[in-house]
Amino acid sequence: MLLTLAYRNLWRNQRRTLLTLSAMVVSAALLILALGVFSGMFKDMLASATEQYYGHLVLAQPGYHLRRDLFASLPAELVDLPALRDAPEISGRSPRLRSFGLLSRRDTSQPVELLGIIPELEQQVTSLQHELTAGRYPAAEDLNAALIGQGLAHKLKVQPGDELVFVTQAADGSIGNDLLVVSGIFATGDSRHDNNLVLAPLPWLQQVLVQPGRIHEVAMRVNDPMNAAQVASRLTPLLPDHLKLLDWGILLPEMREVIAAYDVSRMIIVTILYLATGLGILNTFFMSVMERTREFGILMAQGMRPWAIRGLVLLETLLLGSIALTVGLLCGALMTLYMQQVGIDLAGYITPVTYAGGTILPRLHAVFEPGNFAVPAGMLLLVSLFAGFLPANRAARLNPVAAVRED
Amino acid sequence: MILIHRKKILTCLTTMLCLVLFSGPVLALDVQSLIREIEQQYMGASSQAKTTMQVRTANWERTLEMEAWSLGRDYFLIRILEPAKERDVATLKRNREVWNYLPKVDRVIKVPPSMMGGSWMGSHITNDDLVKANHIDEEYQLRLLEESATHFVVECLPKPEAAVVWGKIIYRVRKQPQVPEQVDYYDEEMVRVREIHFDQIHQIGDRIVPLRLTVLPLEKPGETTIFHYRELVYDLPLEESFFSLRNLKQP
Repeated sequence: MLLTLAYRNLWRNQRRTLLTLSAMVVSAALLILALGVFSGMFKDMLASATEQYYGHLVLAQPGYHLRRDLFASLPAELVDLPALRDAPEISGRSPRLRSFGLLSRRDTSQPVELLGIIPELEQQVTSLQHELTAGRYPAAEDLNAALIGQGLAHKLKVQPGDELVFVTQAADGSIGNDLLVVSGIFATGDSRHDNNLVLAPLPWLQQVLVQPGRIHEVAMRVNDPMNAAQVASRLTPLLPDHLKLLDWGILLPEMREVIAAYDVSRMIIVTILYLATGLGILNTFFMSVMERTREFGILMAQGMRPWAIRGLVLLETLLLGSIALTVGLLCGALMTLYMQQVGIDLAGYITPVTYAGGTILPRLHAVFEPGNFAVPAGMLLLVSLFAGFLPANRAARLNPVAAVRED
Repeated sequence: MILIHRKKILTCLTTMLCLVLFSGPVLALDVQSLIREIEQQYMGASSQAKTTMQVRTANWERTLEMEAWSLGRDYFLIRILEPAKERDVATLKRNREVWNYLPKVDRVIKVPPSMMGGSWMGSHITNDDLVKANHIDEEYQLRLLEESATHFVVECLPKPEAAVVWGKIIYRVRKQPQVPEQVDYYDEEMVRVREIHFDQIHQIGDRIVPLRLTVLPLEKPGETTIFHYRELVYDLPLEESFFSLRNLKQP
């Protein structure tokens, strides 16, 4: 009975209710869109660091990620460790050997970071194969094919098919050196990778470094990157003690902090926007309660309890909130969907920005994330209830005799 | 008017010349030639040497046999003879540039500026040491720190505009015969990071030189690089053209 009454009351002043409702819908929908775009930006950033280089999880000797010590090597068989192979969250494992050295062509030399990889395994972890601008990804049968960054290719003036010399210090102290043939060129937008990174076959690098059968790390991809830390702590007890499994949050602490800061700033944005919306709702219901003073007086005189009056007004705001929520979520989802499928390309206006270890791509692109819907939705209902509380209280405290006499 | 002016300028110039020639440098001259001689003790006007280099690090140990030629300060060529795996790997220094020849890939590679601080042939000396050691007397302000009956101690501080690696270098030189005993290298924070010790003093022609040189990187205790000069010949008829990229490739 109370619900029907509340619903009918809402539409007694249609224009006012619709105005308030539209303010709520627009604020909820825009908020959802904005949060979706933010999330998209962070996802791009995280992907640029993990899916173009690190991987989500890395198994190596303790401290290897800080010192990159050539001698902190491990047997290559580690990649098939049962604990890793059988983990359902892990969707790719790539053994890697790393070397820092000089890559040169004719008179030009550049310091580079060279990763020895097995092409078909590396492609399950990183996604450089989708960032090629020329040539192709090294194939399994290539003996000395190299994938190099665009900036590096430009500095060395090489095209696919050209020969390069890699020189470094091998593990026995000798000068490791050998020829590479450029098979492909990638461009990620992250200058550190584009100017510095080279991928070459693992057996080739093992021979150059005199490290047969050795690797430095196993890089892994997990299904949900946000869950990488939990996967790492679940797997750690199952792994040998002398090894360390690190998630991207430890490899890229700045990135983890940026994302944690995002959760806080999301709450702040939601609060500010809803404070304004909340004042609008408060205004609407104060007006509607004031107008109905006489009506409430009569209801009370007929025996309606104050709690029922309070409930009635609260129910009205809650109802309004729910309608706004449904429409707002729907609109927000539709706009997010559009931004996810189509997006806005800003490449003509800005260049990629490298920040906190990742790269922000010049595009507006949204992703769906449950929190981006749950937080605005929950907050909207809370704000409606709070905004309804004061008018409801006022209505409930009316003196029936005085209220009936009011004009 | 003009005459007076000229006279004034002339007097001025003469005074300045006198100052430059006779005042300051009189003391410094000794120290400068002393350090220059030490840094070029294995080179002379030109030289040829056979050297054994023994490098010991925490992870590996190896011995290289090398042959080296030099001409003046600016030309230097060194080629590996042993072990077989690295035979004919060679380094050429021309003025301030360093080139490496890698026989395995048959390529000559110029060491870029960013890699000059890197290790040379896996030893505890850097490419920069090859280039800059010869110029210590030019790029550092030298000062006689101590003089005892048997030794000189010379302090070298970088000149303000000099692009150098070390914050300070201290030479300890024996007077009779005049040979270096120890050189200490300090970084920019004035922490001693490297020592070079000299011993096995021999007479080669009319020169007296220590034939063994031990490099101790102090931040890596236990690691050493030892150069042992087994043959040393001075004042050979070497031409500048000997130190060419082509000759770097052709043993």
